[in-house]
Amino acid sequence: MFSLPTVQFTDEQEQFRLEVRAFLQEHLAKGTFKTKCDSWLSGSDPAFSKLIGEQGWIGLTWPKKYGGQERSTIDRYILTEEFLAVGAPVAAHWFADRQTGPLLMRFGTEEQREFFLPKIVKGECYFGIGLSEPNSGSDLASVKTRAEKVDGGWIINGSKTWTSNAHDAHYAVTLIRTEPLGEKKHDGLSQLIIDLHAEGVTIVPIKYLTGEHHFNEVFFDNVFVPDNMVVGTLGNGWKQGLAELAFERSGPERILSTFPLLDELIAGLKRQGDAAGMKEASKVLSRLWGLRNLSIGVAKVLEEGGEVAIPAALVKSIGTKFEQSIPEITRLLVRTYPRLEAERRIDRFMAESTLHAPGFTIRGGTSEVLYGMVAKGVVGQ
Amino acid sequence: MSEMKEMIVNVVEKIFKDKVDKEKVDVVEEGKWAEDVWQVLQDNEMLAVAVSEENGGAGGDLDDLLNLYRLIGKYAVPIPFVETTFANVLLEKTGLNVTQEKATYAVEEQLNVSIDNGTVSGTIVNVPWARYVDELVVVAAGTSGLELVQVSLKDAAISPNMNLACEPRDTVTLVHAPVQQQTKITNEQLEYFIALESAAKSAAMSGAIDKAYELTVRYTKEREQFGRPIHRFQLVQQHLANLAGEAVITSSAIDNMIASIAQKCLQNEVAYTRIRIEEAAKIVAASAHQVHAAIGVTHEHSLHQYTRRLWSWREEGAGEAYWTKQLANRLMEVEDDSLWGYLTRTEKVFQL
Repeated sequence: MFSLPTVQFTDEQEQFRLEVRAFLQEHLAKGTFKTKCDSWLSGSDPAFSKLIGEQGWIGLTWPKKYGGQERSTIDRYILTEEFLAVGAPVAAHWFADRQTGPLLMRFGTEEQREFFLPKIVKGECYFGIGLSEPNSGSDLASVKTRAEKVDGGWIINGSKTWTSNAHDAHYAVTLIRTEPLGEKKHDGLSQLIIDLHAEGVTIVPIKYLTGEHHFNEVFFDNVFVPDNMVVGTLGNGWKQGLAELAFERSGPERILSTFPLLDELIAGLKRQGDAAGMKEASKVLSRLWGLRNLSIGVAKVLEEGGEVAIPAALVKSIGTKFEQSIPEITRLLVRTYPRLEAERRIDRFMAESTLHAPGFTIRGGTSEVLYGMVAKGVVGQ
Repeated sequence: MSEMKEMIVNVVEKIFKDKVDKEKVDVVEEGKWAEDVWQVLQDNEMLAVAVSEENGGAGGDLDDLLNLYRLIGKYAVPIPFVETTFANVLLEKTGLNVTQEKATYAVEEQLNVSIDNGTVSGTIVNVPWARYVDELVVVAAGTSGLELVQVSLKDAAISPNMNLACEPRDTVTLVHAPVQQQTKITNEQLEYFIALESAAKSAAMSGAIDKAYELTVRYTKEREQFGRPIHRFQLVQQHLANLAGEAVITSSAIDNMIASIAQKCLQNEVAYTRIRIEEAAKIVAASAHQVHAAIGVTHEHSLHQYTRRLWSWREEGAGEAYWTKQLANRLMEVEDDSLWGYLTRTEKVFQL
């Protein structure tokens, strides 16, 4: 069995939570942003990201010399929870904060850190993550996008797909084949930072089923990438990428994407004095509590550098199912008229949750891939 | 867990591994008493864990005890360990004398017995292990409120019965049974005892969930079909992933619940844990049996010793029906439509 630590928040951490909450409530009241379900992926607002950057709330855990605050992983966890609970539009800087920063801290060169991290921290520099390709979704390692060595750098040809917010991003950390395909497809892959405004890069929107623009196909036609934009070791891209996945899969965004709807549901049941409905809804809170313990436990182990690939995969596979269940439970307990443009919050949240739900168990590794990973892990133990 | 606590858990786990196997549990189900298991726990002073040293105990804490209850589930331990130790928790927490005898308890919202002139009368169903133990600690209706009382089961009429796991769950009838000792308790104390008892059951259930999961993983490695071990089939892998998820969530829920109890700042942790564990019990029992297929539903296989306990224990004490009602009442009081504020609230609620 995997034993995870329990975490008790310190008084300072509780205080920090209230500080973040007060800031967000103030801006919500001012109309700086509007609460939205699934805001971490579909709520891209560069102005809001800059505001968050000014607070020092991007790269919270990073070293001060790069503009970070050197706060703990648990502090960042609290911050993220507060953003998600109120449905704040944090998508623009999301990947840079969650993945690119930690990646550069671990594998990047000093030059890369000094160049990118201070910009990310200010909320002015956004990253996309270039993993999937048109013919490789779950089979991530079957990468065809290739890099050819030239003087001073690499020439990239190929394409990436499902790249969230590439249209708002400045760069993308991209998994590319830098050596010809050998016996093992996981070998010969490298992570390169591609300037999305470079010559030869074309970003084509892929409209989500609602018509919204979140993800993209990104084409590379003889794009030049200088040598100093290689992250870590050439040929080690697969392993480096895997290290990111535990961070990507275990955070509160795998539990709270539909929390604003749950909040409205409880408020609605209270207004109606519906005790029987409230009993049903209270079961949801016990599931939320269970998942939250697990997710925080994983965050704690990650901070200490421990191995948590399997519990992280479990947070994602169970957490995203939980997120999907909220609209299904809500519709049985209160009457709603789901409309994306609705005035009534519960109708709008219901529409956002229902229409975005199918993606929860797909993005960041489908549940089926995760089940396979977990099963192989527990059988091997 | 501190090193000391870990040591206690390890010692007891080793005892159970040595002394409690499938055959032992079978024998007890047929109506025998497992004196050797009882004796070895007594010799190791494990029956006195969570009783303070000044009262003749081993001086552990409630969290030690709850961690030991997990092992009761994990090894289907067929003796009244939970019952005796929890009866002493009740006695000690209310300032009564602890007992050195085997004991059991009845702590429920519904009061089935009353006190009259220094004697207790009434009928209580589903009393664990009553026929084998000496003392009963029970909440009774007194002339002016609730009383916790201890009576000797020598003074009771006991009608044997059992739960789905064939554990003794007897009907105890008291007719003017003399009170050994008694003390007044408040409604809040009763609620707290009901919560602790529910926590104890959750801990035991989590052990049974762990074991059902472990047995299933092992079986998928050993069992071959169509020329390969069945864990290689994707549909079986999905079962394994679901089981692992339920096991890890259950275990972390219990850890967090125990931490809250140990720090005396319980809010809704017992409620959330019990509700979630009942859900996990349903999923795990069904999935473990499905993976084991026919062999798992035979008496010869040990899986049923854990799944039948899960199906039995979820019906005992304060379960989902009780806790969802409590939670619903509390949620009705949440201010300003702020569920998130409620879930993360910082003020500590101290209990006893």
